[in-house]
Amino acid sequence: MIDLSLRRTASTSASASTGPSRAESETGAGTEARTETEGNTNRHDGTAAVRLESVSHEYGTGGGRLRSGRDRTVTALEDVSLAVGAGEVVGLKGPSGSGKSTILHAVAGLLAPTEGRVDLLGTDLTDRSERERTRLRRNHVGIVFQRFHLLPSLSARANVALPLVQTGVGRSTRRERATELLEAVGLDDRITHLPSELSGGECQRVAIARALATDPDVIVADEPTGELDTTTGASVLELLTDAGRDGNRAVLVASHDDATLAVADRVVPLRDGRVVSDGY
Amino acid sequence: MGTEDGQESGEGTRRSRWRGLVGVSIGRLWKRATRTRSGRIAATTAAVAVTIALLVIVTGMALALADGGVATETDADVRIGPEDTGSLTAVDGVEGPRLGETNERAEQLRAADGVEHASPALVEKLRLEPANGEGEPRTVLVVGIVPDENDRTVAGLPTDPLESGDPHYTDETDDGPRRGEVVLSAAAAEELDVTEGERLAVAGLEADGLAGTEAPDEAAVPTPTVTVTAVAEGSGDAPVVLAPLSEVQTVSGASDGELADRVLVWGNDEHAAAAGSEAYPHAAIESDRGTDPATLFDDGLAFATSLLALLVGVTICASFVATTAGMTVDEDRRTLAVLESVGFSTHSRLAIVALSTVVTTVCGAVLGAALGLVGIGALNAVVASSVVSGAVAQAHPLLVPYGVIVGLVSGLLAVPYPLVIANRTSVLEEVGR
Repeated sequence: MIDLSLRRTASTSASASTGPSRAESETGAGTEARTETEGNTNRHDGTAAVRLESVSHEYGTGGGRLRSGRDRTVTALEDVSLAVGAGEVVGLKGPSGSGKSTILHAVAGLLAPTEGRVDLLGTDLTDRSERERTRLRRNHVGIVFQRFHLLPSLSARANVALPLVQTGVGRSTRRERATELLEAVGLDDRITHLPSELSGGECQRVAIARALATDPDVIVADEPTGELDTTTGASVLELLTDAGRDGNRAVLVASHDDATLAVADRVVPLRDGRVVSDGY
Repeated sequence: MGTEDGQESGEGTRRSRWRGLVGVSIGRLWKRATRTRSGRIAATTAAVAVTIALLVIVTGMALALADGGVATETDADVRIGPEDTGSLTAVDGVEGPRLGETNERAEQLRAADGVEHASPALVEKLRLEPANGEGEPRTVLVVGIVPDENDRTVAGLPTDPLESGDPHYTDETDDGPRRGEVVLSAAAAEELDVTEGERLAVAGLEADGLAGTEAPDEAAVPTPTVTVTAVAEGSGDAPVVLAPLSEVQTVSGASDGELADRVLVWGNDEHAAAAGSEAYPHAAIESDRGTDPATLFDDGLAFATSLLALLVGVTICASFVATTAGMTVDEDRRTLAVLESVGFSTHSRLAIVALSTVVTTVCGAVLGAALGLVGIGALNAVVASSVVSGAVAQAHPLLVPYGVIVGLVSGLLAVPYPLVIANRTSVLEEVGR
């Protein structure tokens, strides 16, 4: 099996059952935030890496450019509560518009929900500034998109190393880490290729490698097999689940496809922005 | 691999981050330019290059204008001129300051180490006519010099057809014989309708003027004529006449103070410049073959021309770069959104946009500066073969950094527009597509 744990040390992983979280220390979160999360447990190992509590979100009031009019809003999420533990793979299932992507974006700190609370490694993202959320995302969240979203003018290695640029890691270390990750996803012979020179499956593998570059504690994947055939999709899913389970990372996979979600430890069905049932 | 405990603000980390951002920006540009079909970078670079090249050419023309054009074209190694003059007095009709005691100091310069030859140069606008009375008087530019036995160029004309030295001054009484010989440019010969061997007279001058003698015993009673000893073919459309200094000084009334517009010195640059400074401590010494760009500020027309070229260049350059960079950023919204999604801060994303814009502009400017110099050479070649002799535009080493700096400033002026567009990018809209 490919080793996708690629964690730096055990002490840097997300399982912060005691003491201040990595996220808190990076954003300067105080004791208050830690106290609020104490006692929270997940269904996996006792501590939630990701926790959503009564989260609601309306585009149009806090959704930025999607605002369609002063009095018109679109409710994307309504009173959603959810917890994902380290090493757990959770699937979000639902049709288009059910709120899957919005949950992933909220977990990644790409949006601040209108109501409720989103905890990432014990830190409430909803009371963080955009800058702080960006920093948390940089160090703790890896994102895999349906359409890969690789930078077309960068090689596979440069794409994987991209998140490390902002962290200030030196060039040689970045290249070393990217090469290591590309080898881990089976693309050691595609290191210098541009995305246009790679197949869809290879692009998604590069995207997974990029998501793992900063050794995140949480991975969110939005329809990761949506652009892939069944066989390629299965191998990509294997990579994702290995990265989660072997690396003790929380993995959230959104899809409307049952076959994709079959790899999840738990599937949370959504409809019209609401959780239908918390896992099956 | 991310840094621990938020320790991302260390100096080394910050430096690494900036190096990374610069690397990503330049790497993206390079790959887009060389490995993708996007023609926008090439279009931007080409547009900037053409604009800067035109700026360099026009500035080179202004430089030539400030230098006085063909009348001051010389192969002298050092030129000594009055401190506060940059334009040719004969062109604008206003007599500027001149150097005094030039005969004596040129003699002093000739004796200096490393100096091969030194000659005052006096430029006067005179009306000449064929001595046989069969032609109309024409205004020409007469340049008086003291030639030596070597082949030199002054006012775009060869000095060797003139006899070496100036016997009028070599006589201790400064009243020696006058040779009465002149070299004409082809244009001057055509204007005056004379050929080699024919004689010219200064229109309206009865005696004791620009005069030649054919025999020593006639020196006391000079005749107001000179002989055309040579017509310099290919010297173009400027009607210029090269004559012995003493005769031009006599005609212009500059003989009393031994006045001249410049003193030209041939020899080792450094030695000649040092000797020039010693002879004229307060004069302007030009020790290179080109024109001092500072002369642009002394010549109103040249300064206006170069300033206009600068303003037009910066405006066109900045507008084009802003437009194309804005379009590029608009195309690149998804890339910017991806950068945000992988944790790039707003500052870093904007820095990448700014760096990409400025680097593209500077590349275009470097190319444009080089093209400009080539263009100046080509322009001079074309003009010399069809219109006039001599340089209508002057290349100067400073034109390269000038062009690059103008490009850089244009890029910086253009940057805010793509930054505004980049800052409006919504990551959710872009990655959700």
